[in-house]
Parts: sequence; structure tokens; C-alpha cells
Amino acid sequence: MNGITSSTALWYASRATGVVALLLLTAVMVLGILVNRQGRLPGLPRFGATSLHRSVSLLAAVFVAVHVATAIADPFVSIGIVASVVPFVSHYEAFWLGLGAVSLDLMAALIVTSLLRGRIGRRTWRVVHWLAYLTWPVAFAHSIGSATDMQRGGLLYLGIGCAAAVAAALAWRVTAARRAVPPGQRAARVLAAATASRQLDREQRARAGAR
Amino acid sequence: MSVDYLAAAGPPPAAPPAGLPRLIPACAPADAGADHRSDKQSLAGHLARLGPLRYPARPGGLIAEAEAAGLTGRGGAAFPVHRKLAAVAGQARERRRAVVVANGAEGEPASGKDAALLWGAPHLVLDGLQLAAQATGATEAFLYARRGEELSRRLLGALRQRAAAGLDRVEVEFVQAPDAFLAGEETALASWINGGPARPAFKQPPVYERGVAGLPTLVQNVETLAQLALIARFGAGWFRALGTAAEPGTMLATIHRADGGSYVTEASLGTPLTALLPAELAGPGAPADTVRAVLVGGYHGAWLAPEQAAGLSLSNASLRPAGAFAGAGVLAALPAGRCGLAETARVGRYLALESAGQCGPCFNGLPHIAGALGELAGPRPRRQALADVQRWAGLVTGRGACHHPDGFVRFVRSALTVFRAELDAHARGRCTATDHTPFLPVPAGPPAREPR
Repeated sequence: MNGITSSTALWYASRATGVVALLLLTAVMVLGILVNRQGRLPGLPRFGATSLHRSVSLLAAVFVAVHVATAIADPFVSIGIVASVVPFVSHYEAFWLGLGAVSLDLMAALIVTSLLRGRIGRRTWRVVHWLAYLTWPVAFAHSIGSATDMQRGGLLYLGIGCAAAVAAALAWRVTAARRAVPPGQRAARVLAAATASRQLDREQRARAGAR
Repeated sequence: MSVDYLAAAGPPPAAPPAGLPRLIPACAPADAGADHRSDKQSLAGHLARLGPLRYPARPGGLIAEAEAAGLTGRGGAAFPVHRKLAAVAGQARERRRAVVVANGAEGEPASGKDAALLWGAPHLVLDGLQLAAQATGATEAFLYARRGEELSRRLLGALRQRAAAGLDRVEVEFVQAPDAFLAGEETALASWINGGPARPAFKQPPVYERGVAGLPTLVQNVETLAQLALIARFGAGWFRALGTAAEPGTMLATIHRADGGSYVTEASLGTPLTALLPAELAGPGAPADTVRAVLVGGYHGAWLAPEQAAGLSLSNASLRPAGAFAGAGVLAALPAGRCGLAETARVGRYLALESAGQCGPCFNGLPHIAGALGELAGPRPRRQALADVQRWAGLVTGRGACHHPDGFVRFVRSALTVFRAELDAHARGRCTATDHTPFLPVPAGPPAREPR
């Protein structure tokens, strides 16, 4: 490759936005898992994780859109508009691009149902949102499989890092679910803790007063 | 039974009750355990008292009559009944199936009126359930009542009597409610009947669209249904003969007297509180020497100073400006000589533990407020405790899936206003109460349950 020319600009743009989209989707995945178990990010209130999850996913959607648009517009390989949404019909890399189309469709479903959550009801939204656990691995496989430069060097380590982050978040999710206090005992636990800390404060004050 | 209760040319309608009571027939205490076939609660006694159950000619007839009567829900929220009926009827037309539920869960520990009504006039409630089923086009019906062996036996007996008489068009399934404050909240109710935990859910989609078994569901308090059964018999005009123009009719009220006695009574909307608590609010030395405060509307309601309560009446028009509401008709006169802060802390602790544990602001906020109330109820609370309650109260309001945090805060805030003098006394290490035995009823036993 001899640097960016007008004929390779779209190719590079598609590659670059694809890599950034993978990074952002990994962040969305980790944040989503955090939100699901009511986890917290240091320095952020609990609802901060929720709005961050939402904002980053919309940002990722923009990068995915640019990634797909530049890939279609790029004359180097001909990927039709149809092949970008219908899986496995592309003439070029049918399988790996097919995975990209699948993840694009899944992402569209996730975003549309999230925007319409108030109308379709929480239960439907929740069922559809489980597809996120399918979307990320499919998108990841598409990244590794269709981009030869992701199969070695720095980008490979980036890919491994993303997979490790999602795996760690999943492991945390499973253990957090096991540690979770059942709803019926939550108030009682908080009350016991609040009462005990008040009692402690009063005793400390009484000791300080006696001195 | 040989009498055809459904025939239009059947026995003539009985004369409508002229005054009070309308809902629960007065009976000598000796009747209570006596022969069921002859007492007024049996089907024969019920029909002899009020005449046969007549279904309106067209299903929507009752909806119009309920609107003309101005009937509102008697479970506490006072929502117009005809609007709920019309909403479920509209959904049922599309879906061809719907469910009606008679809600007698009565999770409020200070209320006894639903149990009293189900005990004293089960057939009036069941008439109302059938009428509501016809009005909405419902194909399934449930009777959801507070747990209790004797009451359950009685209600199952009533359902059997009706089945034997061929009186019901829709079969009624009996379901026992769990012992939880929020058991009667309509999404919790739908979840419980569906086999899940009795926990409130998000309101989208609403129960009138998707409730029991995913079908459009009408949930009405048992008293509301009983009132509906009377309106179907005697008409909107008769219903409006008592009560006020804005809030017509009567309501059942649970009265807790300052002397420790409590009972259920039926009163017209707009009855002065002095008539419901005569000795406490209008007797000699009243109200200053007899009561410390009056709790109106139950544990999601508000404390009122006795002088203020004496000028109010049992209607939302009168109570709302004072920050209270009629709710499900609980009225408790805290005797002079008791500590209002101790009572509020005890009930607050109970309410906090009754949080369903779903919404963070509720299951974190309410116990913290309850902890601070416990400190305020004791000697020499830190100044910080009062500030904590006020700050946290603002933080939990309006932030639950149901109204539990809002009701809790209304109750707590009213206490901080009404018992201000007591707060000052506690700050100086004194309590003006002479009697420290608990007054307001709070169920014993482990409060945090996970029934399913």
C-alpha cells in the first residue's frame, strides 16, 4: 500500500470506522452489563452508567453507519446496499460480510425497540435486548474474519483486548447475579445497616460527650 | 332453589335502603355464627333484602349508570369507575376476552372495611363482580381476598350457593392475597394471579390492556363492586341521595377510637369528622385533652392536628386542601398521652420493610428515612436526623414503579408538621407521652417476605 490516495480513501475510512465501531460496541456491551446488574462506575452516579450506555450506543451506531456507507461506496470491492442488510448474498467474502449484515440488522432491532420502549412495553423490549449478547460476538467475528489486518499485529491485540473486556464483564455479571440480594430482603438489609450506623454514631457521640 | 333470580318477570325488586347502612346489613351479633341459610349474608337473605340481581338490557347500560351516579373507586384512589369500565370494555371488544377482579386484598393494616364487607355482604360484592363482567364483556372473574381461613370458607360457601342457584354468568375463581401492604396494588395483584410474586410492575402496558393472563383486566375494590351492584338495582338517583354533589354516595370507613376500640362503619361522603369521632373531636374537653392527632387515609395518608380535623369532613374536597385524602376510609384518633413520633417511626419502619425491593429510591430511601425517624422518636436525636428525613423525603418522591414512596413521604411529612412540639421536646431529651404502648396496628412477624 502506498499511502492514502483518492481511490483508497474510502477503503481506509471504512476500515478505521470499523475498528472504532468495534471499540465503541465493546464499551456499549460492558456498560450494558454494568447497568443490568445495577453496577457503578467510579465517579459516576448509578444512573450515569445508564445514560452513558445509551449515549455510547448511539455514537457506535453513527460509526457503524459510516463504516457501512463507506464500504458500499468504496469502488475497490463491490458490496451492494442489499448485501449490507441481507446476510450472505455478497459476492465478496460472502460469509464474513454476511456476519456484518446480521449484526447490523440486530443492532437496528436493538435501537428501534429501545427508542420505542415506552410503547412496546418493558417485557418485549427486554426480550429483544437479550439479542445484544448475540450481536456483539457476531460483530466481533465479522471484524476478525473480514479484516485481514485485524488478524495480526496491533489490531489483533486490540481485538483480543475487546474480547477480554466483554468476557470479564460477563464473568462479573454472573457472580454479581449470584451475590444479589432477593428483592424481598433488600429493604430489611438497608434498614439494619442504617439503624446500626445511627446507633454507632450516637455511641461515639456519647463517648465524646462523656470525656 | 326454585326461584328464577334472572328472569325479568321474577320477584319484584325490594324497596331500596332509605338511609344507612346500604352495604352491610345490620344484624344482631347473635346472628353471626348462626344458621347461614337464614341470616342476611346467605344468598336467600341477600336477595330478600335487596331483591333480585337484574342485568341491564345492554352491556353498556351499567357504564352510563355508573357515570350518572358519579361512582368512584373505593380502594383509595377514587378513580371514576365508568372510565375504567369503558376502557376495559373497549379492549375486550378488540380482544374478545377480558378479566374482572374483585380486589379485597386490603393490605393496609389499619383498614378492616373490605374484610367486613366480604364477611357481611359477600353476595353484594359478587353481584357487582358479575355486573362488571357483563359491562366489560369479561369472560373470566376472580375474587382476590385477604388471607384467612374463616373468611375463605365463607366466600367459597357464597360462591357455591350462587353456583347452585345458577346465578352467575361468569365463573368466579377465588384467590387468596398474600399478606403484604402492596398486595392490592393492581399490577402486583395481576402478577400474583399470574403465578408471579405480588410486586408492583411498571405501568406500561396498563393492566386494563394487559393484566391477568395478558388479557384486558378490570381491577375494582370489593366495596366499589358492592356500590355498583346497588346502583344497578336502585339507580343513580338513589345513589346520589346521600353524599355530596361532587362526591356522591357513601363509603365504608374503619374508625380507630382514642379509647382503643375500632370498628367499620358506613358514612355518607361529606360527613363531618366530628360525627365520626364524636367523643374525640366534639366531646367535653375535646379535642385538646382527648386526642393528640388524627390519622386520615391510612398509612399512605396524613396526620392532622385535632383542631384542624374537627373542621373537616370525610371527602376529598374537604381533606385535599389540608394535605390529606379520604383514601380507603381509615380514621384513627391517636389519644392524648401517646407519642406521635413513636407511632410514626413504628409505622414508617413497617412501611419501609414492605417495599417490594425493586426500585432503588424505595428500597434504599425508605429504610434510611425509617432509621432517621427511629432516632427522632428516641431521646435527644441529633439535629442531623430531622434534616436527613426532610432531604431524603424529597429524593424518593415520584421515583417508584408504584406510589409506595409517595404515600410513605406524605405520611412522614405530615407527622413532622403535626408533631412539631413533640420534636422539640425530644430534642431536649423529654417525651410528653405518658403511655408508650403501641396504638396503630402493625402486623407482627417477619416483614420481609418473598412469597414466590
